[in-house]
Amino acid sequence: MHFDLSILLPHLGFLARGAELTAAACALSLVGSVVMGALVAIARTSASSTLRRIAFIYVDLFRNVPFIVQLFFFYYGLPELGIYIDAFTTGVVALSIAGGAYASDTIRAGILAIDQGIIDAAEVSGLSRRKIFTRIVLPIALRTSVRPLGSVLINMILTSSILSTITLNELTGSAQIVVSQTYRPFEVYVVLLCAYAALTYLVSLAVTLLHRHLNRDMMEAVG
Amino acid sequence: MLKVENVRKAFSEVTVLDGVDLTIAPGEVVSILGSSGSGKSTLIRCINGLERLNAGRITVDDFDVSKPKELAEARKRSGTVFQLFNLYPHMSVLQNITLAPIEVLKTPRPEAEAIARKLLESVGLADRADAYPAQLSGGQRQRVGICRALAMQPRYLLLDEVTSALDPEMTAEVLAILAKLAAQGTTMLFVTHEIEFAREISDRIVFLDKGRLVVDLPTDRFFAADGGRAQPRVAQFLSRMRKD
Amino acid sequence: MRFSDFTSYDLILLAQGLGTNIALFLVTSLIGLLIGLGWALVRFYRVPVLAQIVTFLSELLKNSPVLVQLFLVFFGLPALLHIRVTPVTAATITLSANTAAFVYVIAVSAIESIEREQVEAARVFGITRWQVLRHIVTPQAAAFAVGPLVALLVNQLQVTSLISVIGVVDLTKIGHILNMRTLKPFVVWTVVGLLYYGAAKLVALLGERFENRLRAHSAWRGL
Repeated sequence: MHFDLSILLPHLGFLARGAELTAAACALSLVGSVVMGALVAIARTSASSTLRRIAFIYVDLFRNVPFIVQLFFFYYGLPELGIYIDAFTTGVVALSIAGGAYASDTIRAGILAIDQGIIDAAEVSGLSRRKIFTRIVLPIALRTSVRPLGSVLINMILTSSILSTITLNELTGSAQIVVSQTYRPFEVYVVLLCAYAALTYLVSLAVTLLHRHLNRDMMEAVG
Repeated sequence: MLKVENVRKAFSEVTVLDGVDLTIAPGEVVSILGSSGSGKSTLIRCINGLERLNAGRITVDDFDVSKPKELAEARKRSGTVFQLFNLYPHMSVLQNITLAPIEVLKTPRPEAEAIARKLLESVGLADRADAYPAQLSGGQRQRVGICRALAMQPRYLLLDEVTSALDPEMTAEVLAILAKLAAQGTTMLFVTHEIEFAREISDRIVFLDKGRLVVDLPTDRFFAADGGRAQPRVAQFLSRMRKD
Repeated sequence: MRFSDFTSYDLILLAQGLGTNIALFLVTSLIGLLIGLGWALVRFYRVPVLAQIVTFLSELLKNSPVLVQLFLVFFGLPALLHIRVTPVTAATITLSANTAAFVYVIAVSAIESIEREQVEAARVFGITRWQVLRHIVTPQAAAFAVGPLVALLVNQLQVTSLISVIGVVDLTKIGHILNMRTLKPFVVWTVVGLLYYGAAKLVALLGERFENRLRAHSAWRGL
């Protein structure tokens, strides 16, 4: 038995670039998920039953099919439709769509929790339905769902490791390359495991701080 | 002119407004009295288009609130102050007041903010412009609610039990502002339980009973023994409210 | 390799693939459940050192990608210990441990939510901690935990799709093979996705039935 972490030192820069790619993919996908999630949440709270049905099917389907299958569907399927996008874009699209299915739930809950009186006030002041949604409903719903959206992001970071299976050299993909160069899989993957755990821990800390910061104004003043 | 003509409103089986007629001319202050459940708040919600009428017609300066195309114009002419304030919790006081002027009236931001600050000053909240609703007391919140409605420069101000959620001290500070507005000639439709105050500021008082508008008289006639009081329901209501 | 169209034999391949996923899912869920509950016991009795290790381990497993855990076991362990680890063994170890981590968290929160209210009262009568666990905490905690556990199982079923990456011939791997042979990615991944979807729905349905029966049972017992 032989365990030596120092063999990783020359590869840290390479791994860091992989981590950057992971961060970029997750950041873009988070935005994509929130947009998807908001659209689907609107559809799910809309008056049209067809729209509600379509939205429900989307959420149900993408939550119950493994992400790797969704990813292959896009990666191998889109070129067949004549859509040629690189692995990074494919990954971001797939993560956004899968993440959107989860984000829609939390955003929908946030929307349903809004006091009807606040919407009444916006309505009688003459704001259009679109303005009421973008200026009142969505900002309030997003604030109250910061925490659950944080969980969506953490899940996304973990899930993004699967992007390595479509030749994207994000953190996990880079680690695989380092393994092939060093033949030290144990050291590499132990460090990788801890890196992901540390990353998600930092994200959850940041989410807690953000939640407190955004909602400080909405909390009742004591006394 | 704000005209309510033969309005009927029912929630499923229950008739809440039953053939209500009411006209308010610019400059008038009209109070609506009535026991709870008499349909007072529903009438306000019909005038600002939050409820759909089952029958009848409501026009604000000839704009019919039942017609989607005219509702926007009608809403520009009326401002509503709510019982539970309904301020936007994620926006500062200043943003609460300037949102609609900027988005609906297309007032340039600096101008909208100047108007808002002036309004805040007139209600004694000049120093709270950057506070958030949750950081204010109930009375302060309602004063912001009034500023928010006034910022749209409405021709008619609709006030829906604006002091019911406040304790007596805060009620007094809000009523003082309304008295000032009345004195300035603001047209107001005022749903309230504050009989004495209604008597002080109103030109006319109307009385709703079970969805019917049973009395519509000038204020002094309303309280006269041979006027409003001649109606048994009104007499009963007044004596009951006095005891509280 | 010459690509060719679908044959009826492909249906058997797909069924075999799905069978592999389900078999692995059942085995690892059972092992994971037992280990997770064992860890929860360690925590319940506040075993020194061990309790801390268990908490740390479950956090690490919960907050790192299953794919990386798979790589660590499949590539890392053999390199460190000079042993042979087959793909199926690696998959079994990893998924069991991963499930255990989540079961542990669910069990601990269920136990704690019940314990806080009722154990103090029970202790007054001089009942031992084991009796408290067996007669007071377990029945209620089980009712409390069954919802989250069903959600976990639905998720873990999807996670089994990752074992294809280390070469286990499961449904996703079959999908890959058919994809390469027929060059009809849309059909292949749609069929594969729907099979996973059906399996997930089945697990959810069975879980729901079980939950209802448990509820009815405890309600009856409550009378």
